[in-house]
Amino acid sequence: MIEYLLLAPVLTGIVCFFSKTRKQVETASMVGSTATLLLGLVLVWQVYKYDIIITWQNALFADAFSAFIVLIVSIVGFVASLYSIGYMGHELDHGAMDLKRLRLYYVLFHGFMFTMLLVGVTNNLGLWIAIEMTTLVSALLMILYSKKSSVEAAWKYMIICTVGITFALFGTILTYYGAVNILGETGDALNWTSLIAVADQFDPTIMKLAFIFILIGYGTKAGLAPMHTWLPDAHSEAPTPVSALLSGVLLNCAMYGIIRFYTIATKSTGVAFTSNLLIIFGLLSLGIAVPFILLQEDYKRMLAYSSVEHMGIIALGIGFGGVFGVFGAILHMFNHAMTKSLMFFGAGNVLLKHETKEIFNVSGLVKSMPVTGAMFVIGTLAITGSPPFSIFISEFTILAAGFSQGHYVATVLFLLFIIMIFAGFFNNVSKMAFGTPKQGIEKGDVGRLMLVAMGILIVFVVVLGVYIPPFFYEMIMKVVEIVR
Amino acid sequence: MEEIVFGSNIMQLLIALILVSTFMILGSTRLYSCVRAFGIQSFLLACVAGIVAFSTGKIDIYIVAFLTLAIKAALIPYIFIYIIREIKVKREIDLYVNISPSLIIGGILVVISYYLIRSINLITELSSFALSASMSLVSIGLFIMISRKKAIMQMLGILIMENGLFLGAISLTYGMPLLVELGIFFDVLIGVLIMGILIFRINKTFETIDTDMLKTLIG
Repeated sequence: MIEYLLLAPVLTGIVCFFSKTRKQVETASMVGSTATLLLGLVLVWQVYKYDIIITWQNALFADAFSAFIVLIVSIVGFVASLYSIGYMGHELDHGAMDLKRLRLYYVLFHGFMFTMLLVGVTNNLGLWIAIEMTTLVSALLMILYSKKSSVEAAWKYMIICTVGITFALFGTILTYYGAVNILGETGDALNWTSLIAVADQFDPTIMKLAFIFILIGYGTKAGLAPMHTWLPDAHSEAPTPVSALLSGVLLNCAMYGIIRFYTIATKSTGVAFTSNLLIIFGLLSLGIAVPFILLQEDYKRMLAYSSVEHMGIIALGIGFGGVFGVFGAILHMFNHAMTKSLMFFGAGNVLLKHETKEIFNVSGLVKSMPVTGAMFVIGTLAITGSPPFSIFISEFTILAAGFSQGHYVATVLFLLFIIMIFAGFFNNVSKMAFGTPKQGIEKGDVGRLMLVAMGILIVFVVVLGVYIPPFFYEMIMKVVEIVR
Repeated sequence: MEEIVFGSNIMQLLIALILVSTFMILGSTRLYSCVRAFGIQSFLLACVAGIVAFSTGKIDIYIVAFLTLAIKAALIPYIFIYIIREIKVKREIDLYVNISPSLIIGGILVVISYYLIRSINLITELSSFALSASMSLVSIGLFIMISRKKAIMQMLGILIMENGLFLGAISLTYGMPLLVELGIFFDVLIGVLIMGILIFRINKTFETIDTDMLKTLIG
C-alpha cells in the first residue's frame, strides 16, 4: 500500500516530464495528484483499521501519526496542484514562463510531493535523508523564476537548512549510538518501531545531547526562531502554490521529525527537559513573529512570519503536554496547513492581479475581487484564531493545556503574543481588503480553478471550527497516544 | 575493539592529517588549493573507513569506504573544479576574516572541541580523539562558511561539516546502517549538484558569486 502511495507522485513526475503540450502536462498533474490523494485516503483508512502497517523489510511503515502527515500532504498537495493549473497557466499566458519551465515546474512539484510523503512513512530515523531531499527539490522550485530576489532566497534557504540539517544528522548519529548500546549493531537499530520499545533504557546524557541537536536541526527546517531567518525569504519568493506547500506542509514534516524524537527522548531524559526546550523555542518563535507582523509591508512575508508563529504554537502545545496540549498541537498542524494554504492562495490571486507584494499598493479587495477578497478576510479571521474557525479550537485547547499543566507565565505570554499578532495582522489585511480599489484594477476575480481550490480549503477551515467528525477525532487521539 | 582500531598509530596519524588538511583550507586564499585540500581530507577519511572495514571485516564499511573515495575524494572535487572553470571566477578568495586570525580561531576551535568531548567523555579516551577531531571539523566548517565571501566556499564549508560528522559516526558506531549511509551519500551528491546549479544561477543574475550581494531580503 505504502509503495503505491510513493509510486504515484514519481510516476506523475515522469509522465509530466514526457508531456508535449500544456494540456497534457496539466492533465497528467491533475490525474496524478488525484491518485495520490485517493491512495493517501486509502492508507489513512487502512491505518485506522489495522493501527500499524509495516512493509519493505521494515523500511516503510505507517502508524496513525504517519497517516496524519500523509493526510495533510495529500490534501494540500491535491489542492495546490489544482491551484497550480490556474496560477501557472496565468503566468504562462502572461509570458512570465515558457512551456519548458512549466513542465519542469510540474515535475519538481510531484518530486516535492514524493519527498514529503517519504518523510511521513520512513520507519528509519534516517528520515533525515527524506527531509534533506525536500530541501533540495524545493530549492529548485524556488529558482523557477530567475529573479534576483528568488535566487537569493533559494541560496539562503539551501545553505541555512543544510547546515541545520547537518546538526540534525549529528543528533541522529548520537541516537544511533545510544541504540547500538542496547539493540546491538543491527540495521534495525534506527527503526522507529524498534526504538520506541526500548526508549526508556537509553542513556539520558546522550539523549539530552541528541535531542538538542535534533531540535536545532529540524527546528531550522520547521522555522522555529531564532533559526527561522531563511523562512520569510523562501516562502515569499517561491511561486505561490509552492509557498502554500512550504508553509502548510513542509514545516509540518520537519515538526513531525522533532515530535518523533521528542517521544523517544522524553522516555529517558524525563519530560521536564524536552518540554521546557520546546516551550522556550515556541515562545521565542511567537515573540519574534510579533514585531515583524506588526510592521510588515509585504503581504507574502507577513504570511511567512505567521507560519513562524504557528510553528511556535505547535511546539508550545507539545511542550505543555498532557492530552489537551498534544491534542491541540496535532489538530493545529492540520488546521494551520489548511488555513495557511488558503491565505497563500488568496495572496497569489492578489499578486497576479496587482503585480505587487506591497500591502500599501493594494486596497479594496472586497470590491475589486469579491470572492478572493471575502475568502481572504475569512482566512485572516481564521488564521488569527478568531471563533468560530478551526484554529480557534486548537489554540484554545493549547491555552487550556497550558493553564491546566501549570505553565502560567508561558501561557500568559502566549496569549499576549497572539493578541498582538491578531491586531497587527488584521490591521494590515483591512488596509488591503477595504477602501476603494486602486486605479487601473479591473473588477473581477482571476481564474475559476483557483477559487475552487480555495473553496475546498475553506470548507475545512469552517467545518472543523464547529464540528470535529468522530473518525477524525479518533485518529487524532491515536496520534496523541503515540506521542505521549 | 574500538580501542584497537582507533588506538593504532596509523589511525591517530590519519586523524591528525585530517586536521592538518582542514587547516590547509583555512590557511589558503586560492580556490584550487582549498578544493585540493578537501579532496585530500576526503581521501584520508576513506582510508580511516578502509582501516575500520579491514579490522572488522564488514562488507558494509568497505562499501562506505569505497563510496567516500569515489564520491567525496574524486567526484565532488571534480564538480568544484568544473564550476570554478565554467564561471571563470577570480581564483582568489575574499575573506571577512584574514588568514592569520582564521588560523588562530581554527586552533581555538580545535582546543574547545577537545575539551568539550573530554568533558562528555562518551567512551574510551582513544576514540574520543577521533570524536574531538570530528567536532573540530564541524566547527571549522561552520567558521569557513561565515568567514569567506564566495558562495563556493560556503558549499565547501558544508561539505567539511559533513566530513566531520562522517568521522564522528564511524568513530562512535562504525558508521550508520548501510541504508542510511547510502541515503546520506545520495543527498550529499545531489546537494552538491543543486548548490552548483544555484551558484551558476547566482553568477548569471548577479554577475558575481560574492555573497555580499545577497543581502536585499530583510525585515
